[in-house]
Amino acid sequence: MSRLLHAALLSAGIALAAGGAVAQPIQVGVTISTTGPAASLGIPQRNSIALLPTEIDGHKIEYTVLDDGADTTKAVANIRKLIDETHADVIIGSSTTPASMAMIDVAAEKKVPMISLAASARLVSPMDDQRRWVFKVPQNDSLMADAIAEHMAKAGVKSVAFIGFNDAYGDGWAAEFGRAAKAKGIEIVATEKFARTDQSVTGQALKMMAAKPDAVLVAGSGTPAALPQKTLKERGYTGKMYQTHGIANNDFLRVGGKDVEGTVLPVGPIVVAAQLPDSNPIKAQALKYVNAYEAANGPGSVAAFGAHAYDAGTLMAAAIPAALKKAKPGTPEFRAALRDAMEAQKDLVMTHGIATMSPTEHNGFDTRARVMVVIDNGKWKLLP
Amino acid sequence: MRRFGWVGAAALAVALPWLPFLPPFWITLANYIGIASVVAIGLVVLTGVGGMTSFGQASFMGFGAYTTAILSTQWGISPWLTLPASLAVAGIAAWLIGQVTLRLSGHYLAVGTIAWSVALYYTFANLDFFGRNDGISGIPPLAIGGFRFIDPRATFAVVWIGVLASVLATRNLLDSRAGRAIRALSGGSVAAASFGVNTARARSLAFVHAAVLAGFAGWLYAHMQRSVNPTPFGLNASIEYLLMAVVGGAAHIPGAIIGAALVTVVNDQLQDLLPRLLGQSGNFETIVFGIVLVATLQAAPRGIWPLLARARPRHRDIQPDAPPLPHRALPTPNLTGGEVLDVRGLSKNFGGLAAVSDLGFTLASGEIVGLIGPNGAGKSTTFNLLTGVAEPSGGEIRFLGRSLAGLPARAIARLGIARSFQHVKLVPAMPVIENVAIGAHLRGHAGAIAALLRLDRAEEARLFAESARQLARVGLAEHADRPATELALGQQRIVEIARALALDPVALLLDEPAAGLRHAEKQALATLLRQLRADGVAVLLVEHDMDFVMTLADRLVVMDFGTRLAEGRPHDVRENPAVIEAYLGAPG
Amino acid sequence: MDSTIGLILVQDGVINGAIYALLALSLVLVFTVTRVIFIPQGEFVAYGALTYAALDNGQLPGSVWLLCGLGVAAALAGLWRRQVSARLLALTLALPALVLAVAIWAAPRRLGVAFDAALTLAIVAPMAPYLYRIGFQPLAEASVLVLLIAAVGVHLAMVGLGLVFFGPEGWRATALPAPSLALGDLPVPGQALWIVGLAIALMLALFAFFELTLFGRALRATAVNRLGARLVGIGTAQSGLIAFAIAGAIGALSGILIAPLTTVYYDSGFLVGLKGFTAAIIGGMAAYPPAVLAALAVGLLESFASFWASAFKEVIVFTAIIPVLLWRSLRHGPAEEEE
Repeated sequence: MSRLLHAALLSAGIALAAGGAVAQPIQVGVTISTTGPAASLGIPQRNSIALLPTEIDGHKIEYTVLDDGADTTKAVANIRKLIDETHADVIIGSSTTPASMAMIDVAAEKKVPMISLAASARLVSPMDDQRRWVFKVPQNDSLMADAIAEHMAKAGVKSVAFIGFNDAYGDGWAAEFGRAAKAKGIEIVATEKFARTDQSVTGQALKMMAAKPDAVLVAGSGTPAALPQKTLKERGYTGKMYQTHGIANNDFLRVGGKDVEGTVLPVGPIVVAAQLPDSNPIKAQALKYVNAYEAANGPGSVAAFGAHAYDAGTLMAAAIPAALKKAKPGTPEFRAALRDAMEAQKDLVMTHGIATMSPTEHNGFDTRARVMVVIDNGKWKLLP
Repeated sequence: MRRFGWVGAAALAVALPWLPFLPPFWITLANYIGIASVVAIGLVVLTGVGGMTSFGQASFMGFGAYTTAILSTQWGISPWLTLPASLAVAGIAAWLIGQVTLRLSGHYLAVGTIAWSVALYYTFANLDFFGRNDGISGIPPLAIGGFRFIDPRATFAVVWIGVLASVLATRNLLDSRAGRAIRALSGGSVAAASFGVNTARARSLAFVHAAVLAGFAGWLYAHMQRSVNPTPFGLNASIEYLLMAVVGGAAHIPGAIIGAALVTVVNDQLQDLLPRLLGQSGNFETIVFGIVLVATLQAAPRGIWPLLARARPRHRDIQPDAPPLPHRALPTPNLTGGEVLDVRGLSKNFGGLAAVSDLGFTLASGEIVGLIGPNGAGKSTTFNLLTGVAEPSGGEIRFLGRSLAGLPARAIARLGIARSFQHVKLVPAMPVIENVAIGAHLRGHAGAIAALLRLDRAEEARLFAESARQLARVGLAEHADRPATELALGQQRIVEIARALALDPVALLLDEPAAGLRHAEKQALATLLRQLRADGVAVLLVEHDMDFVMTLADRLVVMDFGTRLAEGRPHDVRENPAVIEAYLGAPG
Repeated sequence: MDSTIGLILVQDGVINGAIYALLALSLVLVFTVTRVIFIPQGEFVAYGALTYAALDNGQLPGSVWLLCGLGVAAALAGLWRRQVSARLLALTLALPALVLAVAIWAAPRRLGVAFDAALTLAIVAPMAPYLYRIGFQPLAEASVLVLLIAAVGVHLAMVGLGLVFFGPEGWRATALPAPSLALGDLPVPGQALWIVGLAIALMLALFAFFELTLFGRALRATAVNRLGARLVGIGTAQSGLIAFAIAGAIGALSGILIAPLTTVYYDSGFLVGLKGFTAAIIGGMAAYPPAVLAALAVGLLESFASFWASAFKEVIVFTAIIPVLLWRSLRHGPAEEEE
């Protein structure tokens, strides 16, 4: 044991000495879905990577961004490419749960820390030898599902119809919301699916309305989530509407128009950063990101998905100084130290929340990572 | 020596990736190429050779992958033991699906495969049993003893030995009696069936073989990736495999591997190259890939492999001393009514239009009967009715005393009726000798399993010795190894005769055999037909060359507008006023 | 399920079916004339819808640049094949330049839906004949399989470009002006009338074109017998161009029709096209009326399946196709596949 420690200290010493001479750049490998069905997540994420720091403690940080098109095979090939060819010290990605799930094995095999930008809690729990290497910055679905169920219970909703994407996102939500609703004694009277590019969801809308629910929850991401809501409206549904945090970009408001007024949903604080009280530490961090993003990509372009990539960068940047003290970038020791340092983060302020990591908790968000908002006059409005 | 080649290649697959200077990611890429190659090799059999377009190969891969994923994660069964299960599930699924979809012809088949490919995708994605959209993860890697195949360099050996095995199996299959049945499909299923090929079974075999290979690829994929979910087995993936096969050269096994390599490497290189050229701002890979794909097809419409390998015919060794195939005892030649074929009141209507009506004639062994008549008189239709290609609307055909009613073409072929076609129906790319060997299809018995294991060599030698004999008999021995299309059209007709002779026929039905022949060739053909007559073969001859048919035929049957106009000895028929009118038009 | 729900589902199915029918018609047309299974047909729908929506939002659609690029490429392809004529240059260079100028001038002015629709047609429809010139004409003698894969290549490139031009999120557009009707209890939105009405009108127009005009009959001649058509002086290349132009226009028009009714994405085209393709095949890939009926059936089945079991909608739709295909293929018997 002590010999091991000795060796570690020695290598750290060498690393420091070498670091003084030629600052070895830190390689960050990114694989996200900038094309394909998850492109609306991946594109703002790619734009956000461009805003991440390019130098920390005298070490250049080099980013290599690859596209996996939300294809698991491609995602795994990409992570191998990033590790084998660019010798990545840390991996960011991928944008979707299935792609991230498939990458875990490689990250663990190569012992490279990986920060996923996907939703499902299954990426980091239950904690095991493989998931040790995986961190995840978006809020768990369960955190958001609980918030919706809580809001529904308070609003007197007894029965809910659910319609979700026919993909991993919809599946995750169906399971999590089912659990949360049950806990609050809310009955789910219809569970429907739709596909992102479906032309019509009339059938599903009629089925849900026939079940006469107090409220409808749509679980989709981006503009596609507007179609069920618009169809329900068209067919004369007047009950309460809930959406998930997957819709939090301005494109949704553009496509939804006045049909989505009054919709209630949980979001990361970033979406309503300007409305947060100044006392909230997230506000400054979130506004910094929003301003930087919109300066680069135009006003109104910011999307909550992109902020996940920025948060991944924040987590990584927070851990790098500690890791640099232990080892030189490009070495297995550095990657292990980076992992350890990320796991040691306490009360790290990000745009989506405040994270406290631990050996068993690699998401680290608590209820500060969600706020309830309502769509009001085509804007997101923070609910008290 | 050849065996050493395969063993050497396998050894290379084990050793190559450990060479120190190879970048590790190349090994990973090579593994993906290998898996895709296995699927694409299946498409060579199915699409390139068998002529069936499938948009469903990735779903068979899914069958293989999900089978091993479920067995190894939920039941803890060793991956080596799940391999047969994966292959069996893919194969059985293909057989079942094939029972429905393979009846579909042409474009229907393509859409049929799209249909079940989409249906399966959403089935995988919506059932808990398959882990829904998230799929199944935590699949154990392959392992021998304590050694786990996790490092791509270790996986490389498994994948590429798998590719070698697939190549070997596919080569063995295609170069066999069962394989020729598949290859015969692209010469038209009518011709194949007329020589006793069970076309439905041949299609099914090609389909199952391709699916088993895809299932094998799925098994490899599951244990290399160690997780499965529906996306890699969807329609887009199927299209990509098809694309690989076509770009490489769908008719050739090496084409499949080249196509898989090219598509994988181009995709990867574009990912590196384009951001350097155009900046990180957008994703132009698919755009450029699409353009490159179209340009490649324009430069090489038949694929890359045919460009690389200048097609030089491979010489097939014939063993002339192989034991001859059993020979059918022909009815004794006699000229006193030993008839083998008896047609009475035969008629065929196509939607109210009578192509043949109330036709009757007989054909005896050791006799040449000419069936003549103006164009459109119904001669070729008659041939189709006699050989079971089309079903008569009425009348009776008796062959060797038994009725042919309701028999399919291949059963009629088995009874001993062989034919040639007015429009040549040879398998264009196949060597002449193998085209002839299709004729001998019913004289062999070896099936696909025997072919895969090469247990069919003795029978193959006999089949090819017989084919070589028939080819020599028609005087085309020196063309044995050339692809059929390279021959002149007249020669191709003669190859059809050799193919028909390889069936060991009782009755030979020849549709315009002399068309396109030079004078000397016609003489040789006439000599051959006389020889056959002397041997006791019954010959029915449709021919427009009157001199040829008049000198050769013992009797003539003249048809016009589907009916028998006259019958008799050539000399008598020539004088018949009705015949003259039919041929020369009304007098005056 | 009561009768009102049933009626609404029928209406929904008919609307979708009408779109599938239009696509099926143009797929049949392109296939019979050129033997190309035109996978990118769906992309023309998406491009039409997104271009129209962009104009409707007062933006210059990125597709107009693609039009210019394809025009130049088509001109170069003509140059390469030494088939340059004033007419070619006018169609491949002057036309896109004119459309570009009009689009730049008109986009911020929001000149109303009719103008937007016309401009969208002018931007999107000519892409198809350009694509034919660049991509498919050199492959005219290739097998159906190779043409199909080339079509896949065009599809991939067009989807990728669609993402660049229109972004990953969806768009909607203002409806064409029309009164809403009520059939008994069933409210019929004006846009639905447009879709069904235009679909019927287009089918009649196609019928008239093929039966009554010289060009139309020439196209049919090519479809039946390519060699024969060439012998009587009808160029395969020209008939291919016309077939593609019609297909492009039908695709763009379908896009304009659905843009106000649903959200359209850069990659919406594939599944829509696939269903049109399926209908075309059920219809026999040669005959128009059966293709239309099949398209309606697909639309209706889809609508009811999404009511009964939305998770398995595609499973139901696509497995239901197989018995139909089976029946058709059994009825027609094993066709000789002449390649």
